Amino acid sequence: MSLRIALAQGTLLDDNLAALRAAGLDVGPVERRDRRLVIPAGDVTYLLGRPSDIPTYVAHGAADVGITGKDVLMEQEADVLELVDLRYGTCRFVVAAPADRMDRALDEYKHLGSIEVATKYPKVAAEHFERKGIQVELIKLGGSVEVAPQVGLSDWIVDLVATGRTLKENGLAVVEEFAVCTARLIANRVSYARERERIGALAAKLEEWASTR
Amino acid sequence: MRVPRGFRDILPTEARELHAIERQLMAAFASYGYVPLDPPMVEFAESTATVDERRMLRFLDRDGRLLALRPDITTAVARVVAQRYATTEHALRLSYFNAVFREEPSMRGSEREYDQAGIELIGAGGLRADAEVIALLASSLAACGLAQADLDVGHVGYLAGFLAELAPAARERATDLARRGDLVAALELFPAARREALERGLRTRIPAGGSVEREAQRSGSAGADPAEREAQGPGSAAGWRSAFEALRSGAPAASAAALDELARLAPLLGAAGVPAVRFDLGFIPALPYYSGVVFQVTAPGLGFAVAAGGRYDGLLARFGADRPATGFGIAVPHLHQALIDAGWRAPSDTALVVLLPRTGARGASSAKDDAATLACAAALRARGIGVAIDEVADAAGQPVVRATAIDSTRVEHEGAVLTLEAFAARLGGAGNP
Repeated sequence: MSLRIALAQGTLLDDNLAALRAAGLDVGPVERRDRRLVIPAGDVTYLLGRPSDIPTYVAHGAADVGITGKDVLMEQEADVLELVDLRYGTCRFVVAAPADRMDRALDEYKHLGSIEVATKYPKVAAEHFERKGIQVELIKLGGSVEVAPQVGLSDWIVDLVATGRTLKENGLAVVEEFAVCTARLIANRVSYARERERIGALAAKLEEWASTR
Repeated sequence: MRVPRGFRDILPTEARELHAIERQLMAAFASYGYVPLDPPMVEFAESTATVDERRMLRFLDRDGRLLALRPDITTAVARVVAQRYATTEHALRLSYFNAVFREEPSMRGSEREYDQAGIELIGAGGLRADAEVIALLASSLAACGLAQADLDVGHVGYLAGFLAELAPAARERATDLARRGDLVAALELFPAARREALERGLRTRIPAGGSVEREAQRSGSAGADPAEREAQGPGSAAGWRSAFEALRSGAPAASAAALDELARLAPLLGAAGVPAVRFDLGFIPALPYYSGVVFQVTAPGLGFAVAAGGRYDGLLARFGADRPATGFGIAVPHLHQALIDAGWRAPSDTALVVLLPRTGARGASSAKDDAATLACAAALRARGIGVAIDEVADAAGQPVVRATAIDSTRVEHEGAVLTLEAFAARLGGAGNP
């Protein structure tokens, strides 16, 4: 049976294809970039989906393995196996606040007992502040959370940053960095049992490739 | 009119198939001496300690007690053993086929109510009991007609041996990560030498007889005598031990002991008639209570396991009855799907006879025709034939044969008037065309 590999479209796709090529897979049909989203290539079939949907495809066994960011896995809590840290696509989860009033939110916290935090990642943010013992009111946004503190929607934000440039240009500074996220090879639990030789060999090759970069 | 999310109506065709599966499973369980247990649908929420509380469907009753729809049957078994069989010395073999209830996040396409079938063997420790339970799982799935399935056997003691060497905080974290499937983060918590051995182990699957066959060929070419070959050949404990040999290097003593158990289990499984198993040390059950040999059954094209189980010594102690135990649960919807994927349909012993009354010129039957129809139906049923009077809306996938009632001894079928005996003979082969 064809091994079904779910890949995220977008910024990570080139890195994903480079990794799979290094592991000896034929990624040519995907590189052609036609509009197809299900692409057979020899004894594998590629599925292209949104990054946040990759764990869903894999958890349900619609794909045997997939590559997605640790950030997506942290937010989704999908029942999948994480097999290899591919060490690219590095970004960090940070708490950020307006650079010119870093202390104000903490001061308000003493008086008002709560901090408003805007984020696209409510689960990650909630777990982080719970660990820290800080009471927050989470405000879920679909993106561009850097806007929120500038217009008074929130005191802080929790966001995923690669370079930190967007934060800086929006007058925000990092209060705290609490997780580093990289791309992961994930597998469906049953596929991992049934296709152990192929998935195990793929994992071993990808791991070797990742460790030499 | 809607049903709540995750619940659904099971219509006649599917219901008949599920009943067929239930009969076949319960008969297979009974053939190994397992007797049925029918626990209540509702338990006190605090006593269902085997399932995460967020995954239980809970509610308050009028006494202000927090109750839960049963999330599994193991909890009930544990309670029944502790309360009703506290003093018994012998093994207790219980089987069940019941609906269980789990809370699922919305939009995941998951059911909140589904049937679970399974058995629990309480009070029998050791590998003989493990082999019995695995053999029963294989034979009960085969009895249902599931041909294309694979049985993987693992041992939680292999990973536990590595975990035991970690400091308590790291051990707890690594255990949690491994169960949740984050092998990347779990492995990072081990010292380098152990990490390499463990990673190799978790990726290893020993196919049925695979490496052992090579081993046997080698000893054969060395001119070993037949008795020795028998002791070392495929299926022998020595042969299997050599198959696990590569995994022993770099593994803690406790993990090596788990590998030895699997090597001793292998020939027992062969003796019990289990067709083929693979040993899979990377199978880490998500549930925390397993303590020894574990196993799961998977089917092609299905992203979820059909069945899973294993030894759970120590769980019953939490309910006040410290007895060894092993068992398995079959996710009936997944079994049903695997069967349907393989082209299975519920067996029909005989066709359903749709018996039509004779009708007059205005399309209505007279009182005399009605009496003849009822009498004819009763006579057919007395011969063991299923009869529905007049056209049916849903025959649940059974083959249907139409006939018109003439009187209590004759029907008209395909243009011919037949005695009930002749009609019954014609039906004989119609059940399974």
